[in-house]
Amino acid sequence: MNTLLTIAAAEWRYWRRSRLALAAAALFFMLLLVTVVLTSLRVQAERDERLHHQQEAEQTFIDQPDRHPHRMVHYGHYVFRTPSPLAVFDPGLDPVTGQSIFLEGHRQNSATFADSAASADLGGLARLTPAVVYQLFGALLVMLLGHGAMVREREAATLAPMLAQGVTGTQLLLGKALALLGAIAIMLLPLLGAVIGAVPRGETLAAGLALAATYLMYLCVWGLLTLLFSALLSRRSTVLAVLTGLWLSLSLLLPSLATNFTARSLPIAGQIETDLTMLADLRRLGDGHNAQDPAFAQLRSELLQRYDADSVEELPVNWRGVVAEYSEARLTETLNEYAEARMAQEAAQAALLARHGWLTPFLATATASRALAATDLDHHQRFLREAEALRIDFVQGLNRLHAQELSYEADTNRNRDAEAARRARVSADNWQLLREFRYAPLDPFARLANAGPSLTALAAWFAALAIAVTLIGRRLSP
Amino acid sequence: MTLFSSLAHEWAFQRRDRSLTLWLFLVLVLASLAVAGGISEVEHQRASIERLLEGDREDRIEALSQQSDWGGAAYYAFHLTYDSPSDFAFAALGRRDEDPWKHRIRMLALEGQIYEHDAGNPELALTGRFDFSFFAAFVLPLVLAVLLHDLYAGDRAAGRHALLVATSGRSSAPWRRRAVLRVLAVFLAALLPLVVGGVISATAPVKLGLATLLLFVYTALWGLICYGAARWRASSPVILSSLLGLWLVLAVVLPGAGKLAVDRLVEAPSGADILLTQRETVNDAWDVPTEVTMDAFVERHPQWAAHAEIEGAFEWKWYYAFQQVGDQKTEALSDAYRSARRTRDRLAGRFALLSPPALFERSMQRLAETDLRASLAYEQRIRDFHSRLREFYYARMFPDRPFDAEGLAGLPQYPGGEKRDARDG
Repeated sequence: MNTLLTIAAAEWRYWRRSRLALAAAALFFMLLLVTVVLTSLRVQAERDERLHHQQEAEQTFIDQPDRHPHRMVHYGHYVFRTPSPLAVFDPGLDPVTGQSIFLEGHRQNSATFADSAASADLGGLARLTPAVVYQLFGALLVMLLGHGAMVREREAATLAPMLAQGVTGTQLLLGKALALLGAIAIMLLPLLGAVIGAVPRGETLAAGLALAATYLMYLCVWGLLTLLFSALLSRRSTVLAVLTGLWLSLSLLLPSLATNFTARSLPIAGQIETDLTMLADLRRLGDGHNAQDPAFAQLRSELLQRYDADSVEELPVNWRGVVAEYSEARLTETLNEYAEARMAQEAAQAALLARHGWLTPFLATATASRALAATDLDHHQRFLREAEALRIDFVQGLNRLHAQELSYEADTNRNRDAEAARRARVSADNWQLLREFRYAPLDPFARLANAGPSLTALAAWFAALAIAVTLIGRRLSP
Repeated sequence: MTLFSSLAHEWAFQRRDRSLTLWLFLVLVLASLAVAGGISEVEHQRASIERLLEGDREDRIEALSQQSDWGGAAYYAFHLTYDSPSDFAFAALGRRDEDPWKHRIRMLALEGQIYEHDAGNPELALTGRFDFSFFAAFVLPLVLAVLLHDLYAGDRAAGRHALLVATSGRSSAPWRRRAVLRVLAVFLAALLPLVVGGVISATAPVKLGLATLLLFVYTALWGLICYGAARWRASSPVILSSLLGLWLVLAVVLPGAGKLAVDRLVEAPSGADILLTQRETVNDAWDVPTEVTMDAFVERHPQWAAHAEIEGAFEWKWYYAFQQVGDQKTEALSDAYRSARRTRDRLAGRFALLSPPALFERSMQRLAETDLRASLAYEQRIRDFHSRLREFYYARMFPDRPFDAEGLAGLPQYPGGEKRDARDG
């Protein structure tokens, strides 16, 4: 153990004297600090703003005056997705997905107003977040620090004397690895700070620690890669050139090539396109505004039979409201069928993209990081599903009001004059039926399960490299 | 020795450098993959528009066939608007991944429809595609750094430097020649797939020429930077690390800082405010006296003043008038949102002068019409088309012209195939 510490301490001393190492580390920490602060401020402001809008939207709905219930179905409601607490570290999909949805009867609207639509364009790598700093720069810093670790001893001809003095190759490699691990641990301090800072804002420590562990493993993968090439190659300049090429391939080329491949092998038709097919289906369901629509003939005869009535006027419930509720339910079934199909396709694309994590630890880490920070596709889709659940809930609540609290007679005569219109209203107290909407991320264990496949790929990288480095250590010769 | 023959001589010598050949081959393969990916995506988008046009037409015919008044026709008939990819879009897909390039709109308030977001999978948009502009802006400089950083340091470390200086007339001639040759070779290897892609996509020669020039200037600039660094009397790992650092600052740090700064500097109204205002005004219209709505409507459309009296409890012209008034009330916010996006883009353009990769990517996207200006221009085309729809129906609804299905044949068509004016927006 002492030997290992001596070797590691020597490496640390070397870094302290190396201007290159110091400059790279300074740049990394400065950048990290700035992005952590700026992203925190931005995400926090967004959280507050969207929460405020959400409360405002709920209050406006409840404050509406007495109205015909179907007016409220069309008046609709808004829901906002508040970013998860860990979004301050990895905002993930938040900037590229819409943040608010207008909920109304008969339609499922898309999430609108993505940040990126209004954001300045400064090239494909301008989306700087703490997560990106670790994914791109963290890897690079580990590489710059560690590339000389073994090859330097070889070039300076200090390797042979060391091995001759009884230090084994494994010890030497372990000592260098320990030095790198120490550096990585220090690099992770700001991340730890960020995840601990998220705890008072409602995040669990477990999720934060899982996130930190992911980045620990990621940076260790880079550390092992660096040691491997540093031990294998004989010139320091070659080691760095090879590592640069590797970094370029794993961090820039493969992820975006994987995107191309995914888009090509699992093409998705857009929403408008599937909506067109759906509209044809929907026309067969009948128009819920028109209670005379032949599509409702069966419903009518059933209802007349049940209440032993001869005409809809004799029914104890408002036939128009019954039709509205019935057709909304049928419509929503179809809408959900299409929405689920599209979401399943998107999820399949995301899963295929994530499988490329076996090819590049960058992608495995980025995917796992989003899943753990609750900013991945799964969470966006959960938002869409929760919004839909809320929509059908208040719309059907209003339709039931329409059927039970408003007489058919008053309803059909509502357009006669102002007095008739007044009689076709229900009390504003009913608007309380709107549920509160607070979007909350999954619990940390469910998120960990979502990150599972990517974490497995990352762990496989780690294990394979650890074995490779161990084998090299045993056979190390000057 | 002429320049050409000296380069030819150097090439004969360099050809034996296997790592150079490998890198050049890699550049060729990557550029080809980028171009192929772009072409495949553009084809996918074109095919999707074709299918949409077909489905849209059928759906509208079906919807219109069941109508018996102008108001119902306007309510149930949707119209497809879209932004076809340009002949150079394959090289820089730009905003087409994130921003919607297709909408289906009808004659209701436009502000409630235009922000609908039928874009691709956000997961793919976030990771970003590998298109030519990304490849050239970010990958190419790193390839040049790897190829050029060792120019002097390698020979110095091998002890050949002094000998080579002594045997050549001028002290830096052999290395300069070698650098020029490598940069030229990288440029050509990247250019070839782009030109082939341009020919396949029938890109306008002027655009292809400009793109070639852009690529040349950009490659030459990075060539100069790398050459300058290579002349530095330091070991090659130090030179390469410094070039990597410079790349990071120019490609990631400065653009990232610029993006944050510009977004912070220019306030944009929140989308929620636009949507809420729009919804409130449209919904309030049901409760306010019809004259209030009609007065606000007539203010902008004085030609219908004589027909603006509403008698029954519900009339289509009143319904569409309050949709129109809803748009009018949201106009200020909506204009402010658009002008904020434009201002941000203009500032980003200035900021990009500090970052060659961002500047290069933006210029390519401008050429490919996949930048913000193109998005805004498309939005404007939707607005223009929507107001033509309104004019069409207003001219029939307000004078109470009887409904005839034949008259619907004159419905405005979205001008998809026409040459777009890239200057607006």
